[in-house]
This record gives sequence, structure tokens and C-alpha cells, in this order.
Amino acid sequence: MFSLQRNVISFGVPENAISVRALEKFFPPARSGWRAFRQPFEKATVAALAGISLEVRSGEAVALLGANGAGKSTLLRILATLLLPTRGLAQIAGHDAATQAREVRRRLGYHAGSDIGFYARLTGRENLRFFGGLNHLSASVLERRIPELARQFHLEEAVDRQVRTLSSGTVQRLSLARALLHEPAVLLLDEPTRSLDAIAAAEFRRFLKAEILRRGNASLLFASHSLQEVELLADRVAVIDAGRLLACDTASALRQQTGTASLEEAFMRLTGRDVPSIGGAAE
Amino acid sequence: MMRACGELWAFFWRDLLIARTYRTVFVVEIVEALFGVAMFYYVARFVDSPQLEHALPAGGGYFAFSLIGFVFLDYLNAAMDAFDRSLEEARDAGTLEHLLVTQTSLPVLLAGSAAYPFAVSAVRIGVYITWGAMLFRFPLHEANWLAVTAVLVATFLAFSGFGILSASYLLLFKRGNPAKWFFLSVSGVVGGMLFPVGVLPDWLQVVAKLNPVTYALEAMRGALLAGEGWGPVWKPLLVLLVFAAVLLPLAMLIFAWALRRTKATGTLMHR
Repeated sequence: MFSLQRNVISFGVPENAISVRALEKFFPPARSGWRAFRQPFEKATVAALAGISLEVRSGEAVALLGANGAGKSTLLRILATLLLPTRGLAQIAGHDAATQAREVRRRLGYHAGSDIGFYARLTGRENLRFFGGLNHLSASVLERRIPELARQFHLEEAVDRQVRTLSSGTVQRLSLARALLHEPAVLLLDEPTRSLDAIAAAEFRRFLKAEILRRGNASLLFASHSLQEVELLADRVAVIDAGRLLACDTASALRQQTGTASLEEAFMRLTGRDVPSIGGAAE
Repeated sequence: MMRACGELWAFFWRDLLIARTYRTVFVVEIVEALFGVAMFYYVARFVDSPQLEHALPAGGGYFAFSLIGFVFLDYLNAAMDAFDRSLEEARDAGTLEHLLVTQTSLPVLLAGSAAYPFAVSAVRIGVYITWGAMLFRFPLHEANWLAVTAVLVATFLAFSGFGILSASYLLLFKRGNPAKWFFLSVSGVVGGMLFPVGVLPDWLQVVAKLNPVTYALEAMRGALLAGEGWGPVWKPLLVLLVFAAVLLPLAMLIFAWALRRTKATGTLMHR
């Protein structure tokens, strides 16, 4: 007789910047010689990611911590649309990295942590203009952004020199500038300070903290072997080992959970490794 | 469309800026062209005879016939080479990953990587022909320039398909391309580069009829040597366009599949 129609009001819960669910990645075994011709068609049997689930909220910084070969770069490369997952879901701002790659790339800045990836005979500015153009930045936007980033990364002088004449650390700063050129909503950084000297690395961390994270300009997922960097930049730390996510929490929560005094010890305990004693004198 | 044109221009400008840093290459190539043209001129003087001229399909003598065959095969070579060479360079320099995370679409990425090499090859044809006309009486007055442009574009489209297939092979198998090598080698014999296909045995003439290089050369010689009108050009031009219509979309599909495959196997940056 009487029905009550409920009005559902949605408050629009903020979307996750990055969402990874039950993500698996298998590679075919490496082949050489004649058998390499079979490789593109071989069954993928070598596990790199074994069902990782992870979320990065808008404006949040999450660090991927793991040994070499743990699966950090594989995860970042799937999110950057450079690898296809075997199973599971990897999304950037609600867009599937496997099926909506262009939508994902629009929101993405990717830095592979190496000092290659530029046209060596072009200047830094010419390289930035080229990649900016492919990211649909107009000439006027590029005229504004390139000096801005050059200032932030101390590249004012280097930006007009051919890349082949720049030091490894300078090229890496240029690469970071390229990743930020189109002001992406999500930044994926794979060992961003690997080739930087101590001063440049500290300046980069300060810049990332002050300009990107504190202002909430972008969400950040980065892989690093520097625990100092992880503690300084990350809101949460995702510990990965052999393609599995072992824990994901704040650095202090991880220390608390494992009953350890440092992030290094927490990482060792979580990954089942003994904490090495200095000089082997503990016995 | 405007955006795609802007992106293509960005690729072209990038390659032009890189080429600018190797200035002396331009000068060396212009001089090299002069000696190349001179060689064909003197070979033609040595072998030319009324019988030979009669056997050639278009006017202009053996000099014009062989020069067009030589420089146009270089253009075809560029079409076959441009895609996989730029892919290989991008992979080795580490720029491939950074290109693939930009917002540029795959077709534009492919077309962009080939735009400059094609333009340079077209200019190279111009340099050879200009030397020939200036110093060795190449019969330029017979050329139908509209037809020449149409043949260059149709050839670009038809052979891009082969080039993209070649790049797909490189993506999957990392090194070399026996199909491209075979195709260019065969075309040296059954494409009509330095002698008309009419001198070949019957069964090789059948192979020549299946080879798009034969039609490209026939069309270019018709456009440059046969005077006004489209009579000798339209038929080979049509064949080239049919090749392009079939091969280009097929090659694009295969390249997209090869790219997905390398993303699945994780071998995109492997050498």
C-alpha cells in the first residue's frame, strides 16, 4: 500500500590513483640460438608477480621495497603499459593498463631510473620539446614548462647542451623532468636516484617532497633500494618478495609489527632473511 | 587529424635536427651521387645501341633506364628499411619505452619514424636526376611531374607495408630479416632494375609479374620518360595502390599483434 522510495545520495568517494588486484605476471623461459625463434610463442611459466593486490590513494606516495628480481620493476612496467599482465587487474585512475592504455598514458609520468632513453645528439631542450609534443603539449605550454623544470632540477645550463655531453646524473635529472613535463596525476619511478650523486639525490628527494607530494599534485609509486629515501618520501611501504606482497603499511607500523628498530630490520624479518651482523662478531 | 600531423612533424623535425649534426654527410652524398650518375652514363655509352634502345620499354636510352632503376630501388630500400631501422635505433638507445608511454598512437608512431627517411630518399632521387639532367642529358623535358609525385606516394604506401612487416619481425625475433633480404635480392634480378624483365625466361617473368618492384619501376619510368599523359603510368599505379590497400592494414595489424606479444613475453627491449 505504501512504499517508501529511497533516494541514494552518492558523495563520490575519491578514486584510487592506482589499483592493482590479484596481479600475476609470468614470462616464458629465456632461450638462445635456434630455440629463440620459439620464444615469442612459448608458454609463460616463470613467475615474476604472483597475485599482488595494492592500492595507492590520490596524493599518496607508496614505495616498493624488495630485493633484485622481487617484481618491483615488473609491477611498474605493467602500470606504465609496457608489459601486459598474465592475470589480474592493474588500473590507473580507474583505467585498465592492459585495455585502455592511451587513457592510462594520459595520466602517467614514467621514469625508468636509467640514464639512457634520450636522443644523444639533440640538446636536452630539443628532447623535452619532442617528448612533450608527443604528449600533446602545445608550444606555448612547453615554453613555460621547460624553463620551470630546468630551474627545479638545476638544468638551466645543461638543457641547451647535447645529451651526449651530459653526465649520467644530469641525464637522469633530465629524465625526471621529462616524466613531469605534462604534469601527470600519477608518477611511476623506478629507482629514481640510482645514478645521482648524494647531493643531487638529496635535492631530488626534497623537490619531490616539497613540490609534488606536499602539494598533493600527484600520486607516487616508486621502487627504491635506498631505505633513507623510502622513509623520507613514502606514506606507506609495500614489501615485495618473489612476486608476492608481504606487507603494505607505514614504515613505523612495519617496525611495530615486526618488533624491530629500523626499516632495514623490518624488511629483513618480513622477507625471512637474517639481519647480518657487522663484522661477523655476533657469535 | 591536426594532432596527428603535429606529431608527425615532431618526428620529422627530430630526425632533421639529428641529421643536422652530421652536416658533412649531405655534402658527401651529393658528391657520391655525381659519381654514381657518371658511372651509369659511361656504362650506357659503352652498351647503347639502336637494338638495345628498341628493347627498352620507355624512351631515353639505357642511361635513363638504368639510372631510374638504380635510384628508385634505393627509394624502395628506404621503404623496407625505415621502420625496422628506426625501431632498432630506438630500442638500442632506450628511447623505445619512452616513445611507447607517450600519448601518440601506434600508426602515428610508425609513420613518424619513417617520415624523414622517406623524404631523404625522395630528395636523393631528385639529386641523382638533377645531376643527370645538368651534366649528362637526362631527358627531363619528358617528365610528367604530377605522375612522378603520384608514383612516389603510391610506392611509399605500397612498400611501407613490407617495411612494417619487417619491423614486426624485428620486434619478435630481434635480429635481421631474411624476408627483406630475399625480397631485395630477388628484385635486383626480377624487378627490372638494370634490364627489362622481357629478357628473362618465361618462368622468371611470371615471378616478376608478382613482384611489386616491377610495377613501381614501370610506373616511375613511365612518369619520368614517357612524356605527358597517364597512359603508361595508370596501370602499374593501380597495382601499387591495390598492394597498399591490402598490405598496409594487414601489416599494421601484424605489428600491433607483435607489439602485444613482446609486451606479454617481456622482450620489448631485448636485443
